[in-house]
Amino acid sequence: MEDSEIIELYWRRDQSAIAETSQKYGGFLWNIAWNVLRSHGDAEECVNDTYLRTWNAIPPARPFAFRAWLGRVTRNLSLDRWKQARAEKRGGDGMEVLLGELDQCVPAPHGVEQALEDREIAGFISAFLRTLPQEPRIMFLRRYWYGEDLADIAAKLGCGQGKVKSSLFRTRKALRAYLEKEGVTL
Amino acid sequence: MKAERLFRVLGLVDEDLIEEAASPAVCQRKFPLRKALTAAACLVLVCGVSFAWLVTGGFHGMGSSAPGESSGSSGSGIATDNEPLHVDGTTFMSYAGPVFPLTLTEEAEGLTAERKTTWDFVPGTYQDGSLRQWGATVTDSYTLVNITENDQAVTALYPFTGSFTELASQQPTVTVNGEEAEGALYAGAYAGGFRDAGVDDGSTWNLQYPDSWMDYKALLDDGSYLNEALGDAPVLDIPVTVYEFTDFTAPANYDAATQAIEFTIDQQKTTVLTYGFNGASWDEDTGWRQYSYFVPNGVRRDKDPKLLVVLGEDIKDHTLGGYENGGCEKEIDGVSCTVTRREMTLDQVLDQLCRNYLETYADWQYGMDTDELAAVPFPLFRRAVGELMAEYGPISETVKDRYAGGRLDDIISETMSMDRVLYLAVPVTIPAGGQIDIAFELWKEPSFDYGCSGSEHVGLQGYDFVTQLGSNLAFTEQRAALANTDSIQIERQNFGFDLEHGVTRVTLNPETEHYYLEIRPKE
Repeated sequence: MEDSEIIELYWRRDQSAIAETSQKYGGFLWNIAWNVLRSHGDAEECVNDTYLRTWNAIPPARPFAFRAWLGRVTRNLSLDRWKQARAEKRGGDGMEVLLGELDQCVPAPHGVEQALEDREIAGFISAFLRTLPQEPRIMFLRRYWYGEDLADIAAKLGCGQGKVKSSLFRTRKALRAYLEKEGVTL
Repeated sequence: MKAERLFRVLGLVDEDLIEEAASPAVCQRKFPLRKALTAAACLVLVCGVSFAWLVTGGFHGMGSSAPGESSGSSGSGIATDNEPLHVDGTTFMSYAGPVFPLTLTEEAEGLTAERKTTWDFVPGTYQDGSLRQWGATVTDSYTLVNITENDQAVTALYPFTGSFTELASQQPTVTVNGEEAEGALYAGAYAGGFRDAGVDDGSTWNLQYPDSWMDYKALLDDGSYLNEALGDAPVLDIPVTVYEFTDFTAPANYDAATQAIEFTIDQQKTTVLTYGFNGASWDEDTGWRQYSYFVPNGVRRDKDPKLLVVLGEDIKDHTLGGYENGGCEKEIDGVSCTVTRREMTLDQVLDQLCRNYLETYADWQYGMDTDELAAVPFPLFRRAVGELMAEYGPISETVKDRYAGGRLDDIISETMSMDRVLYLAVPVTIPAGGQIDIAFELWKEPSFDYGCSGSEHVGLQGYDFVTQLGSNLAFTEQRAALANTDSIQIERQNFGFDLEHGVTRVTLNPETEHYYLEIRPKE
């Protein structure tokens, strides 16, 4: 079923919208949640929460890119759940590793920093990513948007893990320099 | 944790990038044959482009002079065959708006004006002391001459673009005959419009800020924008029923315990606005509504009040429920609050919320410091909230999709950051047969393209200037000047400056409505 048809089901408050979403994107969403949480139960719950949030959000929302929109909801729910799990000292350490790497992108205070909303910073980052060649851009997003392992990324892209690792290192450094140049503070 | 915020922010990158990464093309090692084919394809492409160039005589407009700009494009302003012609300046991704001319609250007979505007490019510094070439200090000076035999008392109005968020750095200072003077501030309404969310469906989910001087021309040309800014604020004395939620409790073992209120309304008779709520669900067919918020456990009153504001027929038979999380699916015991019902007017509600918003703004992680906060005058902010509500909110006949859900949080917070034209009003008296000097100094951020956008304009800083727009003064002369230009180079302009030959002062043609200057800091 086309995304627009699924969204139409939500608008009609037809509960088959959730079944259709699950059938088409369930695996995709589960992978995102798993990459962050490394817990089958928690990942399953996050995906279910995603369906509920989607049901509550559409209408009035009418997502343009439905898959990315769903993925974003799952990603946020997973991060929330990871924080909760961390507070309770349980769960895997996949997210700790991801955040440790991203720490290298956080700009040092310098100049007249801009106090920006998340969306504006995301706009900067999107602009930055568009300047990269496609390969490092995809590597970066598969690692830090989808939370995938280096081995998975390397397998999917037909590259060695070392190449992925060094590409990510260069992109993180470039992103940090870019954010500093733009005067973005986090 | 900063990395955690970055991770969350990354979630908001453009959807096409996320899509691209979701279905990656496998990066194969390139084989020699493939390389050869690629090179051949490039060669064909180059030949094709060259041929097209020859038969069309180059792209239209290249190398020609800018039409209608009589004092304009000299020196570095002339486009070469290798760069596009910028007849009216570059359209930047972030547009700072033009420097406007002074005007008067009412037209005055027998009063003429001379204007001199200077952009001072003395560099600022970063916190570590290194130089930072960003923005310019603009001094916009006027000599008002009274050729009548009577003293003339007028109110001079100086327009400038800005937002409440940036007001502390954007508000001009004013001197009259060299003495510092005080001016009253007026704020115009939101200067932009609305647009769809990426699908060309006529919806109005997104803000669309002005992105050229022509947008400001459309806004100011007929004088109605200024009249509204100086006129009375909209009166919203609509009776409302307010339900305030306080005295929250929730079991400690739930991090995301949620309180929800449910009811059913007749949607023709009742409009519901919210403030401080985190979730909403509704059924358009039955009128069922559910509004929810995460319980600030153990807090008598959250800093942000939680209000349901009911316009029209009051809600009936509402039920309160406690839930494990914001999904509002699994009910739990021990979630409670106090609900207080009051009857007020919408104006009174907005008064309360706007005061609270400004008082707590500095606490936010993106907040201002105390000085910046003090620059936001409550009456202006409150008025602007009312205007946005009346013009585009759920009570408007032309409600925008963006605000149709009734979230007062959105209306109030966006009023703070929206682009608008503000006016500094200074009463002055020009003696019979005499003159006064009035000067405004302001820091002007440039227009620019985002650093890594890949745009050809990255690094350019644009400054726009209009000679007559919105002004009722009779100008006898307008001049422009540049100061401290050692660390800049001019890329495009229609002023006629020539830094190489020391031309930093020019006389402007009053018939030319718009001047632009685009500079690049020297390395």
